[in-house]
Amino acid sequence: MINMENMVICRCEEVTYGELLSTAKEHKCTARELKLRTRAGMGFCGGRTCRVSVDKIIENTVPNASAGDILLKYQPPVRPVTFGSVGENQ
Amino acid sequence: MSDVIVIGAGPAGLAGAIASASNGLSVTVLDEFIKPGGRLLGQLHQEPSGEWWNGMKESERLFLEANNLSVDIRCGVSVYNLEKDENLWNVHTNIGTLTARYVLVATGAAEYPVPVPGWTLPGVMSIGAAQVMTNVHRVQVGKKGIIIGANILSFAILNELQLAGINVDRIILPEKNSISGKAGEPEEVLKTLLHAAHLAPSPLMRFGSHFMKNNWLRKMAIHFYPKSGMKVNGTPLQLRIAAVEIVGKEQVEGVKVANTDAAGQVIPGTEVLYEADFVCIAGGLYPLAELAAVAGCPFEYIPELGGHVPCHSETMETPLGGLFVAGNITGIESGKISMAQGTIAGIAIANHAGKVSSTIDQQLQQAVQQVRSVREQATIQFNPEIDKGRSKMKEIWETKFAPLDKEYSHKKIV
Ligand SMILES: Cc1cc2nc3c(=O)[nH]c(=O)nc-3n(C[C@H](O)[C@H](O)[C@H](O)COP(=O)(O)OP(=O)(O)OC[C@H]3O[C@@H](n4cnc5c(N)ncnc54)[C@H](O)[C@@H]3O)c2cc1C
Repeated sequence: MINMENMVICRCEEVTYGELLSTAKEHKCTARELKLRTRAGMGFCGGRTCRVSVDKIIENTVPNASAGDILLKYQPPVRPVTFGSVGENQ
Repeated sequence: MSDVIVIGAGPAGLAGAIASASNGLSVTVLDEFIKPGGRLLGQLHQEPSGEWWNGMKESERLFLEANNLSVDIRCGVSVYNLEKDENLWNVHTNIGTLTARYVLVATGAAEYPVPVPGWTLPGVMSIGAAQVMTNVHRVQVGKKGIIIGANILSFAILNELQLAGINVDRIILPEKNSISGKAGEPEEVLKTLLHAAHLAPSPLMRFGSHFMKNNWLRKMAIHFYPKSGMKVNGTPLQLRIAAVEIVGKEQVEGVKVANTDAAGQVIPGTEVLYEADFVCIAGGLYPLAELAAVAGCPFEYIPELGGHVPCHSETMETPLGGLFVAGNITGIESGKISMAQGTIAGIAIANHAGKVSSTIDQQLQQAVQQVRSVREQATIQFNPEIDKGRSKMKEIWETKFAPLDKEYSHKKIV
């Protein structure tokens, strides 16, 4: 059976809700730190699927974390690209 | 090299391209989807006046108009980075790097899911995916579906699925947790639905919205809310039922649900299984602003606009010289508003480029006015406090950026 605990939130890196929640509770960190600690949001889709969930977990579990401070950083490439197409331009 | 590169061929991008091109600029439009139109392509709803809003037709009209003005529209092109060097913007795409003095980022909105245990099973999709499959690709998503999440977007798309003859069995809420938050609290959900009731696509939501604004009545309403739900166009909306788990071996076979109290807490021992072969999750929308972010544009967090949005003026310029934004990237609103915003951006770009016709100031004024009047008459409003959000951004611009305007626009972005 799948419960909340083992439910996958970041599908690219297969990070579960339980893992995110316990890391957030333990470290009382920012969304960015949560991402670096768990790899949630660092996979193929660039965080497009789980970004809002990761932000909300921090917003709702870390006291005084206001959503306004949380800005998961965006890095290029914002879409998956082949090494070939990046290389050609450099 | 074109004068302007527009990223996104939705209503905002196409309208922007048309306005710039009609003022004498050469314009290239890039979009990663197979055809132009953006989110318009899936939209089909009836306005209170009885008229139909047919997004497919609107996109065709915009496409033809742009084409007649020799706008170069390229589909299947993904932009993965955006940066400025000296006076030119470099737009990096999967077909190479294009450059232009002016860039309009009109990348629209993205959906966010509310994860439910089992949501990775085949047959679970976002509500927007169901819209695209149904209205753009004409693929039947399934035989019997359940929608998890009650909001304006899920109501609009429920209606579209029904028009296509697809059976949506019921709408239920996600279980309350630290991701779903208010979307899992029956009373909060009712409150937001009532706020938008006069705009809602269903007669049920319009009915009784006035007296339900009273707190006590609303509490009573949610307390006595029927377990079997109230019907939205024939589909039961069950605010006191939460999705506990989506179940199935190889694909969706059903949703395990439980009754909840008015605050959304699951009542133990009430679990039952509803059969279904597809599930749509309706979380919500947020501005898709990644390209403005990698370009180095300053952002502001404005919940009424849907989250983090790039700072912009009422004429759609950003603090970065030559970079403009329009449409849902600036805040979540309907397609008509995006179009009107695109027109502003297109004219503003022509103005910056020095294409000064005698009427350009007047055109710009009219375009700004147009956005306001379209907003007043909007049939679909995703956030009831949109006006507040727009005023916040205006104020931020006027205090933070307007005085710096000159300085900023000459600064090199590194
Ligand atoms: C699922 C969903 C359903 C909606 N339903 C309705 C509805 O029923 N009624 C309504 O009024 N509004 C609806 N909206 C709101 C909708 O966003 C607006 O109506 C309107 O389409 C926004 O216009 P836009 O031009 O800003 O963006 P869009 O119409 O979203 O167009 C943006 C375009 O940019 C392209 N793009 C994005 N990033 C890149 C990139 N990196 N490279 C290349 N191309 C890119 C996309 O492919 C897309 O074609 C919906 C939105 C979503 C997401």
